[in-house]
Amino acid sequence: MRRLLNLRFALSLAAACVAGYALYASWSWPFRTALFPRVIALPILFLALIELALSVWSIEREREGHAVDFQLTDTVEPALARKRTIAIIIWMLGFLVLILLVGFPLAVPIFVFVYLRIAGREPWTLTIVLTAISWLFMEGLFNRFLHLPFPEGLIFGLWR
Amino acid sequence: MLDAFIDGLYVVFQWQTFLMMLLGIFLGFWVGLLPGLGGTTTLALMLPFIYQMTPVEAFAFLLGMHSVVATTGDITSILFGIPGEGTTAATVLDGHAMAKKGEAGRALGAALMSSLIGALIGAFALALAIPVVRPLVLSFGAPELFMLAIVGIAFISSLSGQGGRALLRGILAGLLGLLFALVGQDPQAGVLRFTFGQLYLWNGLDLIPVLVGLFAIPEIIDLAVRGTSIAGELPGENLGRGVWVGVKDTFVHFWLTVRCSLVGTFIGIMPGLGGGVAQWIAYGHAVQSARTSEERTGFGKGDIRGVLGPGAANNSKEGGSLIPTIAFGVPGSSSMAVLLGAFFLQGIMPGPDMLDKHLVLTFSMVWTMVVANIITVVISLFFLNYLAKLTLIRGTVLIPFILFLAFIGAYTSNNHLGDLLVLLAFGFLGYVMIRCGWPRSPLVLGFVLGRIAENNFYISTIRYGPSWALRPLVLVLIALTVIVLFFPFIRFKGRELTGGEVS
Amino acid sequence: MKTSLITFISLVLFFANAPSYGASLYEGKTITIIVGYKPGGGYDRYARLIAKHLRKYIPGNPGVIVQNMPGASSVIAANHLFSVAKPDGLMIGTFNNATVVAQLIKVEGVRFDLTKFAWLGSAASDAVILSVRSDLPYKTADDLRKAKQFVIGTTGPGSSTHDFPALLKEFAAFDFKLVPGYSSSADVMLAVERKEVDGRAGSYDSIKPFIDRGLVRPIIRNRTTAPGIEKLPVDENLATSQTGKLIMAVNAVPTQIYRPFVAPPGTAKDAIKILRDAFANALKDKELLAEAEKGKMTIDYVSPEDALKVVAEVLGQPPDVVQVLAKYIKFGD
Repeated sequence: MRRLLNLRFALSLAAACVAGYALYASWSWPFRTALFPRVIALPILFLALIELALSVWSIEREREGHAVDFQLTDTVEPALARKRTIAIIIWMLGFLVLILLVGFPLAVPIFVFVYLRIAGREPWTLTIVLTAISWLFMEGLFNRFLHLPFPEGLIFGLWR
Repeated sequence: MLDAFIDGLYVVFQWQTFLMMLLGIFLGFWVGLLPGLGGTTTLALMLPFIYQMTPVEAFAFLLGMHSVVATTGDITSILFGIPGEGTTAATVLDGHAMAKKGEAGRALGAALMSSLIGALIGAFALALAIPVVRPLVLSFGAPELFMLAIVGIAFISSLSGQGGRALLRGILAGLLGLLFALVGQDPQAGVLRFTFGQLYLWNGLDLIPVLVGLFAIPEIIDLAVRGTSIAGELPGENLGRGVWVGVKDTFVHFWLTVRCSLVGTFIGIMPGLGGGVAQWIAYGHAVQSARTSEERTGFGKGDIRGVLGPGAANNSKEGGSLIPTIAFGVPGSSSMAVLLGAFFLQGIMPGPDMLDKHLVLTFSMVWTMVVANIITVVISLFFLNYLAKLTLIRGTVLIPFILFLAFIGAYTSNNHLGDLLVLLAFGFLGYVMIRCGWPRSPLVLGFVLGRIAENNFYISTIRYGPSWALRPLVLVLIALTVIVLFFPFIRFKGRELTGGEVS
Repeated sequence: MKTSLITFISLVLFFANAPSYGASLYEGKTITIIVGYKPGGGYDRYARLIAKHLRKYIPGNPGVIVQNMPGASSVIAANHLFSVAKPDGLMIGTFNNATVVAQLIKVEGVRFDLTKFAWLGSAASDAVILSVRSDLPYKTADDLRKAKQFVIGTTGPGSSTHDFPALLKEFAAFDFKLVPGYSSSADVMLAVERKEVDGRAGSYDSIKPFIDRGLVRPIIRNRTTAPGIEKLPVDENLATSQTGKLIMAVNAVPTQIYRPFVAPPGTAKDAIKILRDAFANALKDKELLAEAEKGKMTIDYVSPEDALKVVAEVLGQPPDVVQVLAKYIKFGD
């Protein structure tokens, strides 16, 4: 059962599902539109199922780094590592939600401030100085100088 | 020919021109560093300012800026793991891994030096190639471009790591990349593919949020997990000293740097391959230079060659991509498309004349790129020691800023909230892939080449019928594909001590 | 280093937003022009050119800035202008002229009604032409009609490079072989140069440099015209059926309002009046015209009334015609 729940199994299952969806979606398309998606999705489906099977039956160490890619840190105790991973993912999603709620220009200084105080437990002076810098960058460069269109935060729509 | 080459250099050093170039370099330096500021966008924003300039001044300004962007983009990639530009993502893999080992200075030195050599070789290769460049570009039709994309895709086998299981995952990643490239309106029948009713997806997934997500997000997670600075708890005093080691590394692997520069120049000259392709092919080639399979799996974990290859290709391609723009009026990248607008503003008609009557102007452009790079590299060398120290800043202080830059960098590609969703989706995918031992670089390779392969395949078959596959250059490229594909197996045959992982 | 950047930025900001005095609706305000494409393209260049000169003609001398909102061939920007942007007279926008086709054939995701926008007019019109490689023996439309399997490169359905020759093939008995898939119209031109394809259709402005260079010659145009190509045969007159004629006419409409500019629906009457006058006057501005000339951008003002009439004409087609239209005209880049 544990092997069925591991990440490798999930990733290859996801790849197989993506390929399956691609094949399904290409069903009603004209030939030329559908050819490449099918030619690509079929081997994905096939290979992903092999990888799926291997992830269930073959034993492999969890972070074995034989890919030509970087290796995640393994010097941190697993339980702590898991806790920190979940925390940072929540911070990232929180940043996104904050951007949706109050808009990009305000979300940036707020996020920097809150992160430095809560996650970093940095002293007040440093926190305030860095928050000010982030606000200057955001407001000066991206808002005032480059005129990027930033959608208004959702909460400002409430009392209108 | 030679006269024009020298006159072109002379023109660059006239003081007004030189001053304009310095201004351009100053701007480009910051544009490259900041992920939210793209080179193309900045070029477009600067267009209104060139009305008052002479052609030589205008191009000194614009090209000075443009050519520096790729160089300083590498700095952000190495230090923080965020691609400073869409074209500098490959440097993240080994460059940032080195920074985490406390070798930020060495990686920066190598990136800058290889950029300089790339720019120089690109310029000289171009100067030599000018007599043959028109026939060269014209001999590459759709069938050849299709095969070039296939050659690129074949590098997946080198980028996958050793053993059957690793190859399986590499191919899977590459195919997924190809599939992601197909999102959006298809040019054959105008059907919307995989857009889920979202207007945002009509024009396909954008390269920038995909790359920033794949590369920056896993690094941010890892940084948070370690709870230290980027360089970890390593003794800090070695950090800055590495710059000269990195510069020397460039010459230790001199021929690799040269080869990757030539690869970059060539890909730059080919219109329609786009700016993102060169560095990944160069990276694949750098990985091929590994002599043993252990060496190969060392890539992505801080091998200096993984910095040198893309660093060189990145800058050499800029010289090359000038060619289709000035000789045919066909821009080789989106930056070049903006530059084409500048040509019109200056009353210059791109065309064969640029390689003939206006050769001095053409060479002055090439020289601008070279001189701008020399100036940037020399100035930067003095700062690199300080820049490298940024990797000693506490992670908790850096993380909000890296996140800010990653988010704004992704957002500026379409100014749409969808960019942020793509960023996080691919960030999460990248993280899971690393956890599962799937390599990310084949996915990027598939992603940047997918559309090119599909479009040119249809143009070839509709235009030429099946006979396109028998064109002489196509046959050469097919042979090249086979070599690239089986290179890892030929090279490591008989040297294997450990068996494959497949049960 | 960081401080010098900030100094630089604040200097730029200071000059960009230098305050001006005068009493009016627009004093101390900033007008935003939303562009449906990324910086650097044609729409962006027109918007930035107009932004630079518009303020002179608005009492109160407001700042004018350009914001890029790319995506979905500018349907995202058009949707935004229609339902999200505030109708406070400070918002204008420019988007793909073919959005009128998108609305007509009810493309999924279109949430705007072009007839309800407060139109400022169009900054330019641009003919669509079919050009053939100069070394080929075809000099007139009649010559071309004799050609067998004449190869035309295109960027795909929905673009003028594709739809224009496709209609000629379908309704005017030309034996064309369309090859879609080129990444840009300039890319098709390169294919012409390497003799991979024999001809290319597209906007006259974009083909003109190559005509001047002697690479291609123009053969057929649509009903919109431009100096130098007035005498070319018009596609509608070559059509062999009434349906064909009608479809070609509808397909030509967006080229008459090639660079449309609108304000959101519901913008106050006095603001619209000021903006319309300013838009019309800015396009007569000597400096603007000189810069446009330099940048090879045609300026050809179309009044808001005429623009709206053109739009209404297309959208007023009966459902059965629309059904036939949708078969041949797609919406895309």
